[in-house]
Parts: sequence; structure tokens; C-alpha cells
Amino acid sequence: MTFLEVEKVSKSYGSNKAVEEVSFSIAEGETYGLLGPNGAGKSTTISMIVGVLRPDSGSIRIGGRPHGVGNNATKAQIGFVPQELALYPDLSAWDNLMFFARLYGVSGAEARRRCGEVLELIDLADRARENVSAFSGGMARRLNIGVGLLNRPRLLILDEPAVGVDAQSRNAILESIQRQAAEGVAVLYTTHYMEEAERLCDRVGIIDLGRIRAEGTQRELVSQVGEDDTIVLSLSGGTERAVLALKKIPQVREVSTEGSEVRLLVRDARSTVPLVLETVADSETVLRSVEVREPDLETVFLHLTGKALRN
Amino acid sequence: MSKTLAIALLDLRRMFRDRTNIFFMLLLPLIMVFMMGLSYGEDQQRLGVVVDGQDRPLAERLATSLEEGGRFSVERVDTSEELRRLVERGQMNAGLVIPDDYDRTLRDGDTAEIHFLSRPDDWSAYPLSTWARSVATQEASVLGAAQFAAEAGGDGFDESLRRAEEADPPGIEIVTVTAGEAIFPQDVSQYGLAAPPLLLLFTFVISLTTAIGVVELRQKGLTRRMYSTPTSVRSLVAGESLGRFVITLVQALVILVGSSVLFGVSWGDPLGVAAVVTTFCLVGSGAAMLIGSLCRSEGGAMAAALAVGMGAAGAGGTMVPLEALQGPSRTAAYATPHAWGYEAFSELIRHGGGIGDILPQLSVLLGYAIVLFALGAWRMRVVITR
Repeated sequence: MTFLEVEKVSKSYGSNKAVEEVSFSIAEGETYGLLGPNGAGKSTTISMIVGVLRPDSGSIRIGGRPHGVGNNATKAQIGFVPQELALYPDLSAWDNLMFFARLYGVSGAEARRRCGEVLELIDLADRARENVSAFSGGMARRLNIGVGLLNRPRLLILDEPAVGVDAQSRNAILESIQRQAAEGVAVLYTTHYMEEAERLCDRVGIIDLGRIRAEGTQRELVSQVGEDDTIVLSLSGGTERAVLALKKIPQVREVSTEGSEVRLLVRDARSTVPLVLETVADSETVLRSVEVREPDLETVFLHLTGKALRN
Repeated sequence: MSKTLAIALLDLRRMFRDRTNIFFMLLLPLIMVFMMGLSYGEDQQRLGVVVDGQDRPLAERLATSLEEGGRFSVERVDTSEELRRLVERGQMNAGLVIPDDYDRTLRDGDTAEIHFLSRPDDWSAYPLSTWARSVATQEASVLGAAQFAAEAGGDGFDESLRRAEEADPPGIEIVTVTAGEAIFPQDVSQYGLAAPPLLLLFTFVISLTTAIGVVELRQKGLTRRMYSTPTSVRSLVAGESLGRFVITLVQALVILVGSSVLFGVSWGDPLGVAAVVTTFCLVGSGAAMLIGSLCRSEGGAMAAALAVGMGAAGAGGTMVPLEALQGPSRTAAYATPHAWGYEAFSELIRHGGGIGDILPQLSVLLGYAIVLFALGAWRMRVVITR
């Protein structure tokens, strides 16, 4: 069941159109990745969904109800994890959680219970009384996420939540998000790390210059942009013979060489590899290694925006 | 309301978790009241007197006359060297040395010299000098009469002096009559003069430094996160404003209560004091909200807070007494809230005024508070919702 519906939402700052008719939806238990280079309109889109920025036009519905800046009922269903460590560094993890619990309208014994649960969830229960300033980057990131979970959100919005943390902490963060989705929470996730998006997201929207350029599952996006697979061969002796033979394979669209390395662009690498290996063997060339590269989100992103995601 | 309180209490709590702030808010203002109070001087000026030599009744007569005068505090000092040291260090406002040939010179019918010591920059020595001259002149007239009687009647000097004293010769006494009210009435202690301007100065500066917190909230994304919760922008602005107001009020109360308990400062009509302190704290916290929401960096906010805080304090008569400002600088002083606060406190503390006597000053302070709070809240709202 669809939980978040964003319908033709636009926002301009003066003459600069930051977001233009952006539409997408997220179902309960679904994780949606919003990918885009810096300045693409991700933060503005998120600010409008979170309810801190009023759209110029379009509508947002949460749980089927209209959502906006002043709608505290729908805001209460959102957990927001900003990119910044939006925490009080001179307060303990416990005090930070208790303060934000009050802002979510939870107080007293219920607030203490929720904070305890969240601390267990983010694995910081034994560090609850320590000041955030004494935390490692990974611990602070986990607490940043923890604040977003205080109100048991039905929509969790995470803006690059794992930026700048070590692999172990990142893994822990991604696992906690996967658990949320498994419990039926709709998740909106932005990241610069393609492997995070590939691991977490059921669907991805690619945003650039304020517009959604493409949307779908990873496989759908790859097929939408029509990118070829690449087979990389490492050969020794008789490379020219092999290249001539490989060019004759109908499925091979392009062949390029660089030293002993030969790159083949093919429509479907998995079905073409046996034929390629047979051809190399027939050309009496020694094959040292074979590598198959299927197009990923990074390739799709580059194709659609002309920019690398991490730029 | 509970969210507003939660935000305000968090601000207060964060302020006092920092030990540096405890020093700046609790200790430094009271130390400054003490230091400034000392600089205003003690209630009575001190004159040290040295009587050199032994068994010299005429020198003792002069010293006793000075001691019995009652206008100033006269203290005996053992040696002229010690007296000089005390005057040089400012522990005595002035000193009088009656040399060991004083009695002999007078008995011989000659003019005796006594030495008055003072620092060149100590203006408080002038009234002491005038008074010492007047006592010496009075003494000289009695001694002159005794000398004349001794020479004319053939009695000895001591007998003539006794008779001259008994005769109670006619003299001239200058009675001082004051017109109007003293700027610094004598019944107000030096700490009573020092504490009010320091309350205004510290309260305003501490208030403005909380502007840095507003910038910090924005830079760390805390305002955005807070606004993403089901909390209205009105509650956020009210909470941050209330937090700053409470911090400022705590600072004012520390000086108010501390100076009363430690230095015996009498602040006057409690209702009037409460009104002045409350309105002035509103002015400070409104200004803090405005500066915090206008500045983009913590450094910029700190610079602006210090510049405005110290500038207004200096111009408004809390560093140099307002009464010392003349002409355009006096006029300019009234462009600051400090001058109005200073005037209100002066009326309450020095002249025993009540809340009814400070309504004009309160009205101006309230005007400042309304304007600054309105602007600060509007800017804060813009910053949160932008």
C-alpha cells in the first residue's frame, strides 16, 4: 500500500527552479533511493517531504492524508535523519534522545522506554550517558539515526546517513535500515554510494537539475538506458588474430584493445561469454583472464546525468 | 507549551554545563562589583596622622582636634615613613605629619610647619586638605590668643592656653548647606553605585553571546530537525526566545542577589527592580535572537555580540558613569537601553523611588524589548522556514 505520494512538486528560489514537477511514491516496507549529484534538488525535495519547506506547487500525501509544513499529524509519522549530525554535542546520547522525544510529543515513562529501545536498536545502550562529543563518527551517525526512530515512524527519510563512516559502522547502519523496511516502514534514502543504493533500494529515482530523469528497479533502469555489458579479456600472444575473430561474432558490437587487454561491448554478456571463449581458443591465443562487467547504477547515472555520482 | 519549555530548559542546561560559563556568569560579575566598588572608594575618607617625638601636648592637641572633627576618618600612624607608604599605596587618602619641633616652635612664638601628604592624582585629598587647614587655623587662633596673653599678662604659656580655652574665644564656623540632591548620596555604599551599571553590562553581554547558540543550531541542522518534528514554528521561536530570556534573567539575579548578600547593596523598591530587570532582560534576549538569526557564522555572531554589547554598555553609561557624560555623548547615551536602565536604577537606589517614578524609563525599555523581540522572532521564523 502506498504510504508516501509526491505529486508534481515544484520549488523555486527566485528564478532558480530547484525542483520541477517531481513525482514519485513509496509503498509501506519499500525502500526508495533518490540519487542525484550535488545541487540536483535532493535536499529541497527532502525538505518539502519532511515538512520544513513549503512547495510552490504540487502535493504531498502521507498515509493518504495531505501533508505540509503545518501538519503536525502527518509530521508525527515521519522520522528524519539529516545529513548533518543534528545533535547537541555537549549533551549525552540519552539527553539528546529525551529532548527530541519531547518534541515528538513523547514524555515521561514512555519517553524513557522509547529512548532505551532506540539505544538498544543502535547498539549504544552502554554509552548512553556519554557526551556525543566523545563519540566516534560511526557512533554519532548511529545516534543521528536513532533520533529519527524515536517516534516509531511509518516513513523514514534518510539523507546520506552513512557518509564518512567506516565500513563496519556503515554495515551496521544499513542493516538497521533494512530491519526498519522489513517491519513495514517506507524508507526514502539518498546516498552518494552506489553500492548502498544497490544493496538497500527496491526502486531508485535519479534526479538531476530538479527533475526526476528515470525511475524504477535497478534492472529496469539499466534496460531503460540500453547500456551494453562489457567483457574484458586478458590475452597473451596472437592478440590481433583473436581480435579479428571476435569482431566476427554477431553479438559483439564493439572491440577495443589496450596492450594485451581486449574489451568487448555486447548486448548480453552472460549468453555471449561461451562463444567468446571458444573463439579465443580457436585463434590459438592464450587466455589469462576473463571479466564480465554488467552496467550498474553508476553507469546508468553517468548515462543520464553526464556526471559521476560522487562528484 | 511543554515543547517551548523543553527547548528553553535545554538552552539553560547547556549554558550551565559549561564551566567557563559558570565563571563568566557567576564569579566574574561579582568580582567586578567588588573591584568597581573599591574604585568608588570607601564611605569615609581616611587621613593618617603622625605625631613625631615624645611628650608634646600641643601636637597632641592638634591631633585630637582632627580626630574629634568627625567628618573624616583620622587614624594614628607610628612613623612618617609608614604614613608615606600608606598614602603612596592609596590605603590612606592623605596624611598629616606633625614634626617633633612643633611644640617648641609654637612656644617660642614662631610659626610651626605641619606636612600634608597626598597623591597628585587623588582628588579625594582636596577636601581633607581643606578640612586640615581649617582645623589648624582654629588651633592657631587659640594658640595665638594664649601666646598674646602670656606675653601681656606675664603668666606662663600653658596657663594662658588653659585660660584661652576656658574663655571660648569667638570664631567663625562655615555651615555647609546643600542645594538639590547629591548625584551620589552618602547613604549609598560604593557597591550600591557599582552594582547597577555592572548588572546592565553583564546581563546585556551574556544575553548577546547566546546569539552564538542560534547560529550553532542552524549550522548543525538542529533547527531543521526540530522543525521536522510535530512542533510548530511558533513553539520553536518561543522556546529559543524563552531560553535566552531565562539565561539573561539568571545572570541579572546572580548580580542582584549576590551584591545584596555579599556587599549589602540595597536595590530599593522590589517591584520597581523586578520591572527594570525583566524589561531589560527582554531587551537583551530580543537583541540576541536578532543577532543570532542575522549572522551566518559563530565567529560573526560572537564579534557582533561583543561589539554591540560593549559598545552599548560604553555609550550607555555603564563603564563611565552616565553623570560624567556631557553634551552629545550624553544625548547619544539615551539611544541605548543601558542609559534608561541606569536612570531607573538610580531613581530606585539613590533616591528611594518606586515603580511609579520610573515609568518613563520602563516605557522606553519596554519599547526596545517589543521592537527587538518582534524583529528577532520574525528573523528566526524566516531562518527556520527558509
